[in-house]
Amino acid sequence: MLKIDNLVAGYGKVKVLHGISIHVPKGKTVALIGSNGAGKTTTLRALSGMLKPESGTIVLSDKNITGLTSHEITRLGLAHSPENRRVFSTLPVMDNLLLGAFPRLTGMRQKGDVDGDINRMFELFPRLKERKAQLAGTLSGGEQQMLAMARALMLNPDVLLLDEPSMGLSPRLVEEIFHTIERLKKATITMLLVEQFAAAALDVSDFGYVMENGHIRTSGEASALKNDPAVKAAYLGGGH
Amino acid sequence: MQILMQLIVSGISVGMIYGVIAFGYQLTFATSKTLNFGQGEALMLGALVGLTTVNFLIGNSLGNFWAYVLMLPVVLAFGALQGSVVEWLGVRPAMRAKSEAGWIMATIALGIIFKNLAENIWGRDALRFPSPLPEASLSFGGIRIQPMEIVVVIGAIVLMVAVELFNRYSIYGKAVVATSNDRDAAGLMGINTNRIITFSYALSSMSAAFAGVLVAPVTLTGATMGAVLGLKAFAVAIIGGLSSGLGVVIGGLILGITETLTGYYISTGYKDVPGLLLLLIVLSLKPSGLFGKAAIKKV
Repeated sequence: MLKIDNLVAGYGKVKVLHGISIHVPKGKTVALIGSNGAGKTTTLRALSGMLKPESGTIVLSDKNITGLTSHEITRLGLAHSPENRRVFSTLPVMDNLLLGAFPRLTGMRQKGDVDGDINRMFELFPRLKERKAQLAGTLSGGEQQMLAMARALMLNPDVLLLDEPSMGLSPRLVEEIFHTIERLKKATITMLLVEQFAAAALDVSDFGYVMENGHIRTSGEASALKNDPAVKAAYLGGGH
Repeated sequence: MQILMQLIVSGISVGMIYGVIAFGYQLTFATSKTLNFGQGEALMLGALVGLTTVNFLIGNSLGNFWAYVLMLPVVLAFGALQGSVVEWLGVRPAMRAKSEAGWIMATIALGIIFKNLAENIWGRDALRFPSPLPEASLSFGGIRIQPMEIVVVIGAIVLMVAVELFNRYSIYGKAVVATSNDRDAAGLMGINTNRIITFSYALSSMSAAFAGVLVAPVTLTGATMGAVLGLKAFAVAIIGGLSSGLGVVIGGLILGITETLTGYYISTGYKDVPGLLLLLIVLSLKPSGLFGKAAIKKV
């Protein structure tokens, strides 16, 4: 579904990704783990066109999307729930959700049942329903995270990129977010999940990739990675 | 008392014109953090294209009123086109090059070019714009108002309300607000933010062109009419706040009324002074404008 081959990207002269390859099969959840500064967020930014890759190829559902702009990539079915949520703070929750469906509402992507999807989002995140008329900027951090995920899902994406959905949340909310990811996985949504909570991320994923200094250090089935002594020592230790 | 009321009423229609032009500054600042410093020239071109259109229609035996009504869509379309050209030639290359000040020079340069162009086409003299309504003043309890002054106020309000409704209720309008909020995130929604910025320039110049044909029948038109109006509206945008829709209306009214009051009670020679003093005071005490939200700059 999403195939990344030898991707090189960075900011100006500073290279961050030194040729990484990741495969996200249809209907599967893939975790991308690694320490701070390993290049996880940069990978997602390069995938969704927020950052122009220098070389390598990105193929989404048999279409080469390397070097396209973010709006083109989004219209082709890649949704990105970005780092720091980036909700539209001066707009109500409802408008944020509608904007997630922008390509569907403007004839650039198959429309489907937008109203029905909004109701499904309210089922998945009941808190958003209570706050649907509230401005997104007035939501709590956890609610903003739910909104960012719901907004990305409103695209009806072929692949969903989730960047640090647990960042800055209380332990109870982190658990809630991971439950939601499990439900999305059961609904066979194809996901690439970037997470600091490596153990929890591997628990909800089918495959995992471990990133280090802009390289893929190791990869494999999530259950196998969890038991890999080197991965355990470096990423699954007491800290998380 | 009656004189005071008369001055305030006259100040209101002038102030609304400043408000509309300042509103145009806000539109582009919201989406792109850039301004068209040739906004006054957009107004002037709108007024002169309007004049030629009206004269053509009157020449084809249409009455003043219907000529004015039929001219409006032509001028609005022209304004939108002119704004798109400014964005495409002046702003986009500077933004692509991540130049901090390139767009300032480019929009000023385009403004000068437009002014020269207008001087060559329409000449340097002030021209009379046929009024669509009777020019005799109406009297309300002794306060005299020109019918066109009422049209100015109504037209200005209609324009701003229309834009607000578009932003609030249409998906494209929401896309404009989303782009103002967070351009990268808007791109992730599948919104072509380059096109949104072009659109906001089109809308901005359209507002200015509309202000031009609103004010033209009250004053005179000519290639030099835009510079002062554009500058004063810039002061209004700063006073009212570049991010507050309501602020420009109030800022415009404050400037319009203080001008007519100063012109009468002190001297017409000084009528531009209080507004600019106010600008300096606001800039030093509350740089985000009287009604603006303080910008939090992330570092």
